[in-house]
This record gives sequence, C-alpha cells and structure tokens, in this order.
Amino acid sequence: MGNRVRNISAIAGKEMRIYFGSPIAWVMMGLFALIFGYFYVAYVDLVATAAMRQQFGGGPMKQNVNNDLIRPLLQNASVIILFLIPMVTMRTYSEEKRSGTIELLLTSPITDLDIVLGKFFGAIGLYLGLLAVTAVYVGMLFLYSRPEITPLISGYLGLLLLGGCFVAIGLFVSSLTKNQMVAGVGTFVVLLLLWIINWMADSAGPWLGEIMRYMSITEHFDDFGKGVIDTKHLVFYLSFIVFGLFLTLKSVDSERWRG
Amino acid sequence: MIEVQHLTKRYGPFTAVDDVSFRVEKGEILGFLGPNGAGKTTTMRVITGYMPPTDGKAIVAGFDLFEKPIEAKERIGYLPETPPLYPEMTVREYLNFCARLRLGQLSKAERQQRVETAMRKTHVDDMAGRHCGKLSKGYKQRVGLAQALLHDPEVLILDEPTAGLDPKQIMETRDLIRGLGGDHTIILSTHILPEVAQTCHRVVIINKGKVVAVDTPENLTHQLKGSATLYVQVEADGDAGAALAAVPGVRQVSVADQHARMTGFEIEAEPNVDVRREVARAVVDRGWGLLELRPNRLSLEEIFLQLTTEEQRDQAPAAAAEAPAVQEVANG
Repeated sequence: MGNRVRNISAIAGKEMRIYFGSPIAWVMMGLFALIFGYFYVAYVDLVATAAMRQQFGGGPMKQNVNNDLIRPLLQNASVIILFLIPMVTMRTYSEEKRSGTIELLLTSPITDLDIVLGKFFGAIGLYLGLLAVTAVYVGMLFLYSRPEITPLISGYLGLLLLGGCFVAIGLFVSSLTKNQMVAGVGTFVVLLLLWIINWMADSAGPWLGEIMRYMSITEHFDDFGKGVIDTKHLVFYLSFIVFGLFLTLKSVDSERWRG
Repeated sequence: MIEVQHLTKRYGPFTAVDDVSFRVEKGEILGFLGPNGAGKTTTMRVITGYMPPTDGKAIVAGFDLFEKPIEAKERIGYLPETPPLYPEMTVREYLNFCARLRLGQLSKAERQQRVETAMRKTHVDDMAGRHCGKLSKGYKQRVGLAQALLHDPEVLILDEPTAGLDPKQIMETRDLIRGLGGDHTIILSTHILPEVAQTCHRVVIINKGKVVAVDTPENLTHQLKGSATLYVQVEADGDAGAALAAVPGVRQVSVADQHARMTGFEIEAEPNVDVRREVARAVVDRGWGLLELRPNRLSLEEIFLQLTTEEQRDQAPAAAAEAPAVQEVANG
C-alpha cells in the first residue's frame, strides 16, 4: 500500500511538473481567470442593479448572494471547464505514446493502475489550481457580503466531482490515440454529448428518457449548487470516475497486447 | 539470468518474432544482431515486460515477466530505441523522477546520490541543469543510459545504445558497457557489426523474426569462413595465378583485384594447411614483388549478410547477394 501511494505520487508529481513547467497550466489559468472574471463582473453587475432597483423601487425580492451570484457563477464555471479539461487531459497518454516515454512507465516496476491514478491526480492537481482562481473572485464577495458557507462548499465539491468525471473521460480518450488533437477534440465531443443528452429526454419515451436524464452530467450538478449533497449524485459522480479510470486501464492493457 | 523460451509475437497476421529461444548467463554480454525490422526491438520489449508475448515466455533473474512483472522489472534497466525523455524536464529532474519510480524505498538523499553517480558514469553531469528537449542526440542517448543504470540493475537491456553518438562517444559507451559486463548481464541490440565483435561475448543473429545463429563472434567468423583464404598482392599480371595454383596445398586461386601492374589474388588452401610460407617463396622465387600477404577472414559484415540473405539466394542462385565478387581464373 505504501508502495502504491509512493508510485502514484511520483507519477502525479511528474504530471504536475510538466503542466507547470510548460505554458499549459499558466495559459489555462489565465484563460480561466479571464472568462470567469467576465462572468463574475456580469453577475455582480446584475445583482447590484437589482439591489439598487429594489432599494429605490421597493421590489418584493430580497437579494441573496448565494442564490443570485455564487450559484450561477459556479454553474458557469462548470461550462468553462467543459472546454478547458480536454486541453488538460489531451496529452496525458497521447504524448507519452507519441514520444515513446510510455515505454519508460510501462517497464518500470509499477502497475498500470498506479500510472492511471497518478495521471488522474496530476490532472486533478492542475484542476484544483483552476478552482483556486475562482476562489479568489468568490473570496472577494466575503469583503462586501455574508455568503453562506455550506452551499459554497457543496458547490465546490460538485465542481470537483464534475471535473473528476471530465478528467476520467479525458484520460480514457487520450489513451486511445497518439494524436493530442484527436484526443482533445474527441474528449470535448464526448463531454458535450454527456452534457446535452437530457435535452431529448422528454421526447425519448418514459424509460429511455429517464436513462438519458440520469446520464446527463449537469442534472447531477444542480443540487450541489443549491447546497444539497445528495448521496444519489455522489454515487453517480464517483462511479462515473471509477468507470472512466477502469476503461483507461483496459485501454492501456489492450494496447500492450496489440503493441 | 535471462531465459527466452519459444517466444512468439504476432501483430494481427504479421509475425514479428517467431519461436525465438536463447539464454544469457550471468555477467555475459549478448549482442543481438539483425537487419532493421528483424524483431530485435519486439523481443526486447517482451523481455522488459513492455508487452506480453503471443506465445512462449521470458524469465529474468528467475521471475517470469508475465507472472511476476514487478519483481522482474525491478531487476531490469532498459534503454529503448528512442530515449524516453520528457523534454520539459531538466536532466536532473528527469533522473530524480526515474529514481522515484525505481528506488522509492530509498531516502531522498540516497536517491540523489544515485542520480549523481549515474550522471557521472554516463558523462552527462555537465548537462544536469539542461532541459532534456534541448540536448543533442548523443546526450539524449546517454541520459537514457543513465536512467537504465540508475538502480544498478542485474540485467541491462539496451536497444541500439550507440545510435546517434559521435565516434568518441561510441568508444566511451562501448567501454562503459564492457565495464558493466561481469556484474551485470547485458543484452544489446545493434546493426553495427564491429560493435558486436568489440563488446559482446556471444551473438544472436536474428532475421525475419527467427534466430539464424547463436555463437561467439570468433566462432562465427571461423565457422563461416569455410576453408581459410589468403590474400596476396604481387607486382605481376593475372597470369601469375597459374603459378600460385601450382603451390602444394593450394586448392583454388582467383583474382580479387587488378591495377596496372599489381594483382591481388585470393588463395583458398586445403583445410588446416598453412600455405603462407610456400606462397611467399613462390612469389619471391619468380622475382615478383610481394606487396601484401594476409589471411583473408570473412568479416562479421559478410557473415551477417550471408546468414540473413541465405533465403533469397536459395531462391535465386544468381542473385548479387554473394559477398565479394570474385573472378575465378584457375582450379587447383
């Protein structure tokens, strides 16, 4: 067990070293800060205008920072990562296969599972860096208002799990090809399909519609934003991640056989 | 130390390695020789546990690569055909990472010690802070070698370790490999023949996935020589061949080359008869200048060509595969 943790952290450390040693991580964080910042300003403006109108016009609704600002912001963050995570994961396996470094990993005295998990946690490490960018913006809200902590934590937990699913899919797609671009675009298409799969749910018939709704990654995210941590959603996300990593493991294994 | 038994690897309908078996004893340096695409890399990839064989097995230091991969891999150092480097990492960072994978049980200080030792052995210490992507081909190759030596493995598998090096680096690398033999068991693949003659104790020649010969470089040279031949260059014209053919013990004489007034003859003697003295006397007695007289060994190159082109020659006897074109002038 000690060995396993050591091996996984060695691989994860190497992945992080490559992300942060090359422009990938910094460009990604910059882009994320830019787009998230745009949404942030837009929503703060929206809320401020509404609050002002309420002050003068005496509207019935009371402004709530959590509901009117943080929740839609995190919702938007989930859309941004849909675009960014394929760029994070596209090189994980593809580049190692193209450059031949995969031979180093596969002939080292570590298991394929160690490698998959190491790469998973390495990408999650970069993803945490992205989330840290949003935390700066959200933290500023504490200077001017009193947001509730619980929905904030559950919201971030939801984002983390969502990102975990994206990374797991990204790893799997990357393990299928030597070409980074193919891996990136492929991942994006799969993520987008899982995102919009519920749009057709209503016209797909009762049981198929139910499945489509269940498979939609976003359906499960809503409750987290509201501050509800439902086991149903936890189980969905965690099993999704495990399944993605399992597919990656099988893909790497079959690659060995095919050569 | 290394045992390969009936190894077969197929990629779909294509058979890359076909029923290959050989053993390497402890401390031995085995040369793995063959044209490109012969199955050298595939065999090495099976021995290092990179891929499982379709059939047969590989056992390293008593551990079957398929059943006990971790134990076996711990004892192997591997330099693949392309050195597996991460261009974004510096040489030291890269080797530290490799050390974490292979020597995780050691303390950080001990690992760093190993990294420094490996860098010194392979002469890359002056590039320790350089990014791997910015290194020359020769340095990349040597960092790859440093990676393979890091954990002081019992078995070293080196896929073309001198490819891309300059002549001085080739010499250094060969010396390094020779020095490692004895303590380490080494398989190295190459298509450069002098390398095998200089560094290896034994040679496996492989062609089209099949082993065509296993022996020491010396024995291969002897065995395939057929009967001993001599090369004599004299200051005379081609007619001198008849006189040489008359020397007792000479079986056959042929003209190898001819310039102006100098003629080179290839002399084939009866098995186990040394005709050098007689030939020299015959030349001197007739007043021709004796310019050169040397035993004509088949070089490993020629042996290699003979072995690996045998098949084609069987099919087309007139093919140009015959090593040196020799013009026959007399029979003895």
